Formats: sequence, structure tokens, C-alpha cells
Amino acid sequence: MPPVAFSGDLKEWVQNTINCHKVMVFSKTTCPFCAKVKELLQSLKVEYYALELDQISNGSDVQQQLLELSGQRTVPNVFINGKHLGGCDATIQANTEGRLLKMINGEEEEYDYDLVVIGGGSGGLACSKAAADLGKRVAVLDFVKPSPQGTTWGLGGTCVNVGCIPKKLMHQAALLGHSLEDAKNYGWQLQEETAKHNWEKMKDSVQDHIGSLNWGYRVQLRDKTVQYLNAYGTFVDQHKIKATNKRGKVTEVTSANFVIATGGRPRIPDIPGAKEFGISSDDLFSLPYCPGKTLVIGASYVALECAGFLAGLGLDVTLMVRSILLRGFDQQMAEKIGDYMENHGVKFLRQYVPLKVERLQEGTPGLLKVTAKPTSGAESDSITGEYNTVLFAVGRDACTENIGLDNIGVRYNTKNGKLFATNEQTNISNVYAIGDVLDEKPELTPVAIQAGKLLAERLFNGSTKQVDYTNVATTVFTPLEYGCIGLAEEDAIAQFGQDNLEVYHTNFQPLEYTVAHREENVCYGKLICLKTDNQRVIGFHVLGPNAGEITQGYALAMKLGATKDDFDNTIGIHPTCSEVFTTLSVTKSSGGDVKAAGC
Amino acid sequence: MVTKLHVEGYDAFKETVPKIEEFDKSGKPVFVLFCGSPDKEGHNWCPDCVAAAPVVEKGLEGAPEDAVFVHVGVGERNTWKDPNCSFRTDPTLRLTSVPTLLKWGTPQKLGDSECSKQDLVDMLLQDD
Repeated sequence: MPPVAFSGDLKEWVQNTINCHKVMVFSKTTCPFCAKVKELLQSLKVEYYALELDQISNGSDVQQQLLELSGQRTVPNVFINGKHLGGCDATIQANTEGRLLKMINGEEEEYDYDLVVIGGGSGGLACSKAAADLGKRVAVLDFVKPSPQGTTWGLGGTCVNVGCIPKKLMHQAALLGHSLEDAKNYGWQLQEETAKHNWEKMKDSVQDHIGSLNWGYRVQLRDKTVQYLNAYGTFVDQHKIKATNKRGKVTEVTSANFVIATGGRPRIPDIPGAKEFGISSDDLFSLPYCPGKTLVIGASYVALECAGFLAGLGLDVTLMVRSILLRGFDQQMAEKIGDYMENHGVKFLRQYVPLKVERLQEGTPGLLKVTAKPTSGAESDSITGEYNTVLFAVGRDACTENIGLDNIGVRYNTKNGKLFATNEQTNISNVYAIGDVLDEKPELTPVAIQAGKLLAERLFNGSTKQVDYTNVATTVFTPLEYGCIGLAEEDAIAQFGQDNLEVYHTNFQPLEYTVAHREENVCYGKLICLKTDNQRVIGFHVLGPNAGEITQGYALAMKLGATKDDFDNTIGIHPTCSEVFTTLSVTKSSGGDVKAAGC
Repeated sequence: MVTKLHVEGYDAFKETVPKIEEFDKSGKPVFVLFCGSPDKEGHNWCPDCVAAAPVVEKGLEGAPEDAVFVHVGVGERNTWKDPNCSFRTDPTLRLTSVPTLLKWGTPQKLGDSECSKQDLVDMLLQDD
């Protein structure tokens, strides 16, 4: 038995043999499945080249090379136009589905996957799982670039690791502290006068929960046979991406369709010391030590929520804001949130912008000096302050910069890097986008999940259902929670005119506050109604405990077009906070008093 | 070669914990499988445990060389079904199902029928 004739590297020789033949079959004369494949090709009158590995002395070496090249050691091993097809079953299946001849004639490109999702956050995971449920070949790339402080995390994206989940849990930690105060009035005799909080214990408990979620997502993906690649994806062409893992190993992945779901990351202002000494929400929730006296910079919901729970945990917290709070949200509500926080220990530095951050002392935490100037003032009017921790929460940037968008010509808003898309489809027909990378769409986990699921259904199941981006309810988890649906009052005025609106509002006092002797007239609700449309409710706003729980149900009512009459015809649950929305009678235009009255 | 241990019942398990901690501290991955215990005739009351056994066995072939595998029998059906069963109430375990396969000191855990899925078991035993 002569060895196969070749000179040089065996791997190279095998690759060349594959490339030189349109249809290449690695075979054995004794193998019935090989015979089957060859018969099929003959019956299709296809010219092929078969290398019989049992007729050459180094056949098993060739098989080893095939294993490395294609992940398949067994024969038959079929390659078409240089691409690996598979064994007997794969070849017969390709023929049954009518793909085989198309592949041979180069009419159909065979991709590694039907769908590759870039980004394993809420949206990406939902989309990939839905596509896999429909029998598609799916891969998810997820890669977390370390924050400037070196923080990284596992599968699941912002919401799970450095967003909603740890935020809500730490908000709860703060609320419990407040409840401990109330508890005394309810008869609980606490051992010590003031309860002490242990940051490390809270952080560990929260991170343990997140760890189990990370693992759970990996289990789900594996169970649904979604390929999870812990690698950074960049587009090479419309059907190909380059995936780089943390060891720098690069592989190429091809797919018929792509979904960009890379989300966003906190923006760190370009001022001296910010990146070196500051932290962001990417770092806070896993901070190994208590942040101590903290300066939170920004007026975003992230800024307010973080400042809120840190103060609630008993820390000395200052919030530095450049102009208004919660841009884009109802400003009356935003101011009420600010007032409440100010009355509950958060110091405000309004109309200031930071100039630089310097480190006075290293440590955990260390000591930092922050210089800031009035928004409309000169640098000579600067003030300084010393803090253990400086947290930047001035906004988030879409992660679209280094993923090769320009290689394939995906159009995006050059101001913010966000992608233009119609029904989640970009200008490149097989490239889609969901979640926080979309221009002019809400940056909310459940929105991304809905978009991902529905997109998979449209792509692979003939569905025509689109995401309804209107009346999406949301809640800001400040110490006093703020829930809203629909339009902010100023937006309603801009859209319909003041005269066409009626705003019903009231303060309310949660029953639980009374016994606890908490302050009055901090909780507030309002409905913005459109007079020209039967007093349809177009804006819902509530500030109070459990606003998230209150708001969700009313979102359904607003989806169904509920009017003020519908709210009035609804009978409340007594005693709750939510019931105030069934009895709103005072309009803003009347100027009537809305201070909370008794039961 | 994976080091294999077998312990029967909660008390024996508790006695093994310091050993497990020691392995864990020395950087060896420790995998623990909690299963129903067979009766005298060798019959196991827990069908999922029976189904999981060969799958876990196969998965261990690809586990890191220095891994430690601890097989824990939780007892007879009645012992396990008792809501106050020590395996259920132990604050570090809080077991809710048998079989449970877990990687010690991590949140990585598989329960019930997950333990008889080769893909999932391999991911737990073999991935770094």
C-alpha cells in the first residue's frame, strides 16, 4: 500500500485537495455510508473526487487532519466548494432539501449559522433562544470589555450584571433601612438604637444571585443548543464576523442573518482624573469595599437611583447636576423626586460641572479631591470637595464603535452612534438591531426582550407582529419610586396644546406612613387627559412606594385606550396607594388643593 | 485521574465538608452529586438519579485531571421528602431536588432532569 503522494505539510496538502475539487469525498472502500454518498452523487451526475483512505498507508493521519479542519474524523466526509458539508446524513439531507445541487453550483452560500446575535444581554438572549426554539442554528457572542477600573462580569448583559437587578436589590437594602425606623413605631424593639449596614455582606449576597443568573443563562443556551461564544465580534462583511476571544484567538463565523444587540456602557467625561479615579455603575455593584462619602455626578435616572440607595444605606452622598434632573421625564415629577431626596440626606450641587478629579490618598476607599465650576460661571468661581468615591452617571454610549459597522455600511446616527432601523432592520437587509443600540427607542430591558422575540418570530416563523413602542411603562427606583406611562406633561402640552388637556392630580398619604409618622405630601399622582379624545388618558405619573407595582397594571389600561371615565368607573382596592387613580377629582386648571386628606 | 468519594447521609456529608473545603482551597475543582440512596436490593427510588448516573460518569471522563467528585446519598425517599430534611434546610446547601449536581463554591448547579443531559453535565464538569 503506497502512501499518498505529497510533499510538505500534510495539513496543507489536505486543505489543497479539498480546495482543488468542487466536490470532495473522503471515503473508505469498505464503508457502506461512503458508498451511499458516492451513489447519490453519481445519480445526480455530479463530478466528484473520492480519496479512499483505506487504500493509502497514512489514511489515519489524514483523518486526524480532517478532524482539525472540520471537527469530523469519520468518513464519509464531504466538502463542497471548499466548505465542509458533513457525513452521509448531512449530504442526503442537503439533497432532500434541494440545497445540495445549489451548493455544488455555487448558487447558495452555506453559512455556519442561520442567526448570529452579537451581544448576550436581555435582548440578544431572548432573540437567540426564540430562534433556536424555531429550530434555527444560532450563536450568541458576548464579550465584556473591562471597565476603566477593570470590572467585568458574566453572561446576561447590563440589566442582570450592572443594571436593573443589582440596582433594585440595593434599593431594597436601602428601603429596609428606612423600614427599620418605621418598625419602632409598629412595636418592634430593636437591639440597638441605630442599625448598622455591612456593604460587603450586601455586595456578596447580590453578586451571588447574579452569579446564579449568569450560570442559568448558560444552561438555557446550552439546553437550546445555542452556541455561546465568549468572544468579541466585528463585522468583516455582510455575512461574516471575526470573533476574538479573551486570549486573542480569532475565528471567523458566517451567518445568513445578524442581530446587533451590543447595548451601551456608561460614559466617563473627558476630564483629568475621571477615568483613573472615578467609577461608574459598571463598578459600583461589585465594589469590594464600602464607597464611603460619595459624589455622584449626573442627573440621569442611574445617578438618582445610585445616589438614592447609597444615602439610604447611611452614606454621605452629594449629587452634582449640570442642569435639570431626569431629562426627558416629566419635570414636575423629577423636581418632586429631587425634593424628596434632598429631604432624605442627599446633598445637591446644582448647576455645577466637574473639572478634574485628583487623588489625595490611595485606599479602599481612598480620598479624592473634585474641582467643579458653576455651569454658567468662570473657572475662577470653582469649588472643591473631598470624597472617598466619585461615581459618574452622566449618560450611556451605545457600543457600536468597534464592531466593524463601517466595513458593511450600516447607517447610524453620527451624534450618538445609535443605529437607524425600521422594524429593527438596518439598511443592510440581513443585519438587524435591538435594544439600547437603536436610535430613538427606549433603553429598557423588557423592550429589548420583546423586540428580540418578535424579530425571531418574523424572521423564522412567518410572523408579521411588530413591537408597539408606545405607552411603554417604566419606573425609576429612587428612594420614593416614580412610575410613568405615556407622555410627560410638557410633551403632552407641546403635542396637543394646553387647552386640549385636563390634568387630574393629587397628593396621597400611604396608610403605612401614618403610624410611622413619615412626612405628608410627598407622594403624588397625576393623570393627563386629552379633552378632544373623550378624556383619554395619555400620561400616567405616580410618585410613591412600590410605584413599579402600581404602574404595570395601568399600562394595560392605557394600551386599551382607557379614558378618565374608565378610571372613575374602576373601583379601588382599599387601603392602597394605587386606589387614588380611581378617585381623582381635582384638576390642575381649577387650582384646587391637593394636599393629602385623611382616610 | 478524578478522585472519587462516596458518603451516605447528612452527618457523613457534614463530616466530609472540611475535606471538600480543603480541596477547594487548594484549587481543585470539587463536584458534588446528591442522589437518592438505593435500598438493600440495590433499587433506587429516584428515577432521575438513576438516569443521571451514567451521564455524570461519562462527563467525569472529560473533567479536569485534579477534580474531586463527591457522590452523596441523601437517604431513603421518606427521609428526602420530609420538608425538614437536613439537606433541604442546611443554609449553605438548601437543596430542592435530587439529583443535584453542583460545582462547590460556585453558583453552578444542575437539578432534576438537567443532570441527565450530557451537554449540560459536560458544561458543568468540563468547562473552565
